[in-house]
Parts: sequence; C-alpha cells; structure tokens
Amino acid sequence: MSTARIDRASSPMNGRQDGETRRKRKIADITQALNVDPVDVATLRRMAISEGGLLTDEIRCQVWPRLLNIPPHLLDQEPEKVERDNNKDYNQVLLDVQRSLRRFPPGMPDEQREGLQEELIDIILRVLQRNPQLHYYQGYHDIVVTFLLVVGERLATVLVEKLSTHHLRDFMDPTMDNTKHILNYLMPIIERVNPEVQDFMQQAEVGTVFALSWLITWFGHVLSDFRHVVRLYDFFLACHPLMPIYFAAVIVLHREEEVLDCECDMAMVHHLLSQIPQDLPYETLISRAGDLFVQFPPSELAREAAAHESMATSTFKDFELASTQQRPDIVLRRRRRQKQASPESSTLSPVMTVAQPSTARRFVRLAVMGLTVALGAAALAVVNTALEWAPKLDLFP
Amino acid sequence: MAESGSSAELSGSLTLPPPRTRIFKIIVIGDSGVGKTCLTYRFCAGKFPEKTEATIGVDFRERLVEIDGEKIKIQLWDTAGQERFRKSMVQHYYRNVHAVVFVYDVTNAASFRSLPAWIEECKQHALGTEVPRILVGNKCDLQDSVQVGTDVAQQFADAHSMPLFETSAKSPNSLGDGNYRNSDHVEAIFMTVAHKLKSQKPLVLSQPPEGSGGTVILSGGRNDGGDGGKGWSCSSC
Ligand SMILES: Nc1nc2c(ncn2[C@@H]2O[C@H](COP(=O)(O)OP(=O)(O)OP(=O)(O)O)[C@@H](O)[C@H]2O)c(=O)[nH]1
Ligand SMILES: [Mg+2]
Repeated sequence: MSTARIDRASSPMNGRQDGETRRKRKIADITQALNVDPVDVATLRRMAISEGGLLTDEIRCQVWPRLLNIPPHLLDQEPEKVERDNNKDYNQVLLDVQRSLRRFPPGMPDEQREGLQEELIDIILRVLQRNPQLHYYQGYHDIVVTFLLVVGERLATVLVEKLSTHHLRDFMDPTMDNTKHILNYLMPIIERVNPEVQDFMQQAEVGTVFALSWLITWFGHVLSDFRHVVRLYDFFLACHPLMPIYFAAVIVLHREEEVLDCECDMAMVHHLLSQIPQDLPYETLISRAGDLFVQFPPSELAREAAAHESMATSTFKDFELASTQQRPDIVLRRRRRQKQASPESSTLSPVMTVAQPSTARRFVRLAVMGLTVALGAAALAVVNTALEWAPKLDLFP
Repeated sequence: MAESGSSAELSGSLTLPPPRTRIFKIIVIGDSGVGKTCLTYRFCAGKFPEKTEATIGVDFRERLVEIDGEKIKIQLWDTAGQERFRKSMVQHYYRNVHAVVFVYDVTNAASFRSLPAWIEECKQHALGTEVPRILVGNKCDLQDSVQVGTDVAQQFADAHSMPLFETSAKSPNSLGDGNYRNSDHVEAIFMTVAHKLKSQKPLVLSQPPEGSGGTVILSGGRNDGGDGGKGWSCSSC
C-alpha cells in the first residue's frame, strides 16, 4: 500500500515535469517555426490547435498575425483617430462596451479598465469606418475585447480588421440571414454523432438561438474565465471559420445526458443549453471538435444545412487565404462567383482527394489537424510528411 | 406543431390528470438599452443586476408565483434589442406567447419612437390586441433627463389599447407612491399581467387569435404613480 502511495504521489510530479518539458519543447518549436524563412505557418497552426494552444500572450502577439496571414508591414501602422460624432454605430457600441465590465480582469483598477474601454470603442469604430460593408452586431465587442486584452490596441486593430473581413464576415452582413444559415450546421453535426439528442432537440423545438452568442462571439460572451476564451481563440484562429459551430455541437454532445434528462420543452432545453458549464474539459472538446470536422466536413453537411433555409451559400471558402498569399478582393470576388454558381465546395485539390482512400484521407487530415496525441508515435512520420502537403490537402473543404 | 409545447398541456389539461403548474409566457421587447434585461432580472431575482450585458439572441428567466392559491410559473423571454436580431433570430420565440411587454426608456425619445415598429413586429407574429400587452416606460429614476413625457406616452398607450406603466428597474420603490404594500413596482407590473392572464379562460391562452370571443378592451389606466394595475383590474372579465 505504501509503495502504491509513493507511486501515485510521484506520478503527478512526473506529470508536471513532463508538462514542463512539453511546454518548453513547444515554445522551442514555435520559436523555430517563426524564425524560418518563410515562416512555417503550418507548424504554427498545429501548435495553436494542439494541447494548451499558444501558451502565452507574448507568443500570441507573434503567432496570431501569422495565422491570419497579415503582412508584417501592416503591423507597425499607427491607428488613425476616429470620429465619434455623427457616427451611426457609436451609440450602440458605447452601450455595449459600457456593459462589458465582466470581460475585464476582476482586479483591474477602474481607471485602467476605462482606458481600455475607450480603446475598445476606437478599434470597433475604426474597423467599421474603414469597411463600410461591415455592420456592427452586439457581441462583436466581445470578440474585439479579447484581442485588445491579449495584443493591445494597435495590433488588435489589424487582427480584428482582417478577421472581420473573413471569419466574421457573414455575421456582419446587413441582416443575420447568413448567421442563421451557419447555425443550421449545428443540428446535422449533432445528428451524425448522436441522433437521439438531435431528435430530442427537434421535438422540443428548441431551435439554435441558444448557440447564437457562442458562435458570433467565439464563446467570448459566455465563458467567464478569460484563459479559456483565449485558448479557444488560438484554436479558432488556426481553423476553418466554421469550427466554432463544431465546437458548439461538441458542447451539446458533451452534455447529452443532461439534455436527454431535461423536460422536452423549448424553454427548458433552451435554458439548459444556454447556460454553459464553466468547467468544461476544453482540451478534450477541442480535439473532439477537430475530429468531427474531419469526419463530417462542412461540404458534407452543406446540403442539410441549406435544407433548413432556402439559401445555399457556403461562404467559407475564404479560409485558404490564411495559408496562401492571395489578396482578399480576389477571394471575395471568387466567393461571389461561387455564390452564383454551385454551392458545393470547389477549392480542394481534386487529385489528392480522389487518390486517397477515405480512411487514409481521414487519417492524414486528422494528422494535419494536429490531433496526433491520440494517434501514437507511428503517426508522427505521416504527420510530418502530411504537413508539407498541408496547404494542398482538402484540409479545409 | 407550435401548440405541442407546454401550452398544449396547458389547454389540454383535461387529458392530463395531475394538474400541472400553469405556465405564462411573456415576451419582453423594445430597443437596445431600454432595460429589458434589468426589468426581467429585477422581477425574477428581486434586485437590480449590478452588471448587465448586451443580450445576444434570447435569454430566458422564470419565477414561480402564487395567484389566488394557484402556483403559476411566469416565463420571461428577454430578447435582444438590436434591430438585426429581430427578424431572423428572435422570431422563433414569439410562438405560444401569452402576453407582450413593450419597453421604452423615458430618457430616450428614440426608443419611444420605435414602438410602432415593435407593435408591427408583434402583429406579424399574430400577437395583436387580443393578446394582453402592456407598455412600460423604464428608468423613471433619472428624473432630470426625461425625454418622453407621461402625457405623450399615455396617448400612445390609449391609442394602442394598452395600459401604461412608468417605472424604474433600478429603484422601483422610490417612485413616491407611498404604497409600501407593493413596495416593488416592477413586481407589481408583471404580477398585473399574470393576474390578467389568469383571469382569462385557459383556452384563450394557447389559442390563435380567432379563438377568443373577447377582444379585451383595456381602459389604459394612467399610472399615477399608484398601483398601475387599475386599468386592467376593472376591465377584466
Ligand atoms: N438609471 C437606470 N438605469 C437603468 C435602468 N434599467 C436599466 N438601466 C441601465 O440601462 C442599461 C441597459 O439596460 P439593459 O437591461 O441591459 O438593457 P436591454 O434593454 O436589455 O438592452 P439589450 O440587451 O441591448 O437589448 C444598463 O446600463 C442598465 O444599468 C433603470 O431603471 N434606471
Ligand atoms: Mg438585454
């Protein structure tokens, strides 16, 4: 018995040491990836997804711009002043920012917080002013505040602007129609994994609005621990823009027992689901979301999601922008063309996709996602070669 | 269909032997920032929330009350005020609603001017005059910055056959009404709606418009700082 105790007592120590070693190793890998020329974005992406994410805010300041493929010269730009008078969005933004006290660290002195709130307003108005096609939505401020707190005003402006014209673009349309369309992916994902849960939710007619704030704030609005929010942002920044909806599905699925035990009534189920438990096993859920994304890529769900609506535009072809050197307007133009033409995915590399038997394809995709932890050492070789291929694989269908 | 939820149980209670707690669903709408979240929170939690946040989509709060010996669950659907959420997002939650609370901010004339649009929004969801509706002017504690006078608001309420209540989610006791029995005015307002609903035949609650024989004629009792329920208590069946 005493030996057992010793064993047990020593293993957490080892665990901690292992953890520390892994952390150091990860930092070294990230540094390495940042220092090669050209910067090894595939590795950075993998680091952002894999356990623990990007670890520190200093690292995030360097890696987030890379994940969003922001040209270095933009990073030194001094943000211009913004006009608040006669600004159509100012009142709403002010109202929302004033009510965002919970987003700031609890111990922060009022004066400092108020200064940051001013910066928050400026960033939002600046991005909106520069991009008249974008429309402010309540919840956008929850996203921007996360960037502000991690990377500071100047860098946050650049990152948020890029994000707004890409990942968040659909939320910023004049209407929420596209957002609703994206929410329509939720039930098909749940259905693939647990039809019973999907059926139950369907019967309760709960809808998907309980997940609206999750989606459009990348969970910034609902998670009280800022570290968790930032960890998720690492993940989402490295992934396809639809990943937040997969993560939403994973949360629902994680709570399947609670859901099935709930009274089958819209109000009750809505209430249950909209209260996110604060002690979620984030790392597990992240890798599960990645796994679901690989198993049931958006292209596969698109038709079902569209069946909920008359509209069938998957507007998420933009992601490859992050890993290539394309200019946004090219992507936007193509996106517009795609909207008019087939809604089906067309940006993947047909050769690779067709040539791979589906299980192998899945395996490679999994590996590329950085979810190698579960795959064991044998997978590493594959991962390493797969990574070289990453941009060309249909990783982001 | 839409009637399959709790309201079906409500009306169909004949077939369900153990009498279930009745549920009154009330939707709370109005512009962003008028205080919908504060009002609903005040009613359900009994206090003014220290930190509210923008409501994204729809939040749900409930409270169990007892009216004339019957336990009733009051469900409040606190909706997002920003216009873009109205159309596609909040829609779903207008279904099976038993009553509507329109809120404006007495210190913000624009929020008052938006009311016709909100009323129209309700009509589109088959929530017209046959459903109990009330008008609440919030933030009365900010006496120095009032932009919407009681007279104008009362005229509007009369024109739309709604009773008007002016109140404050922040300090509902300091309205100088001297009525300490209902020391919480916000509570009194929601309870008035609940009483109104209880006084209706259960069927009416879950039936679409054509069912009810009684278009409720509301006398739109002016809230003279007293018990705002007057308007209804006299016109109810
Ligand atoms: N002085 C005063 N302030 C109030 C009162 N009610 C609400 N407020 C303040 O008004 C602001 C908006 O209140 P909310 O309840 O969040 O407004 P809302 O209508 O829910 O807004 P949305 O969720 O954006 O639609 C908050 O800063 C509240 O503190 C009141 O009775 N008196
Ligand atoms: Mg609110």
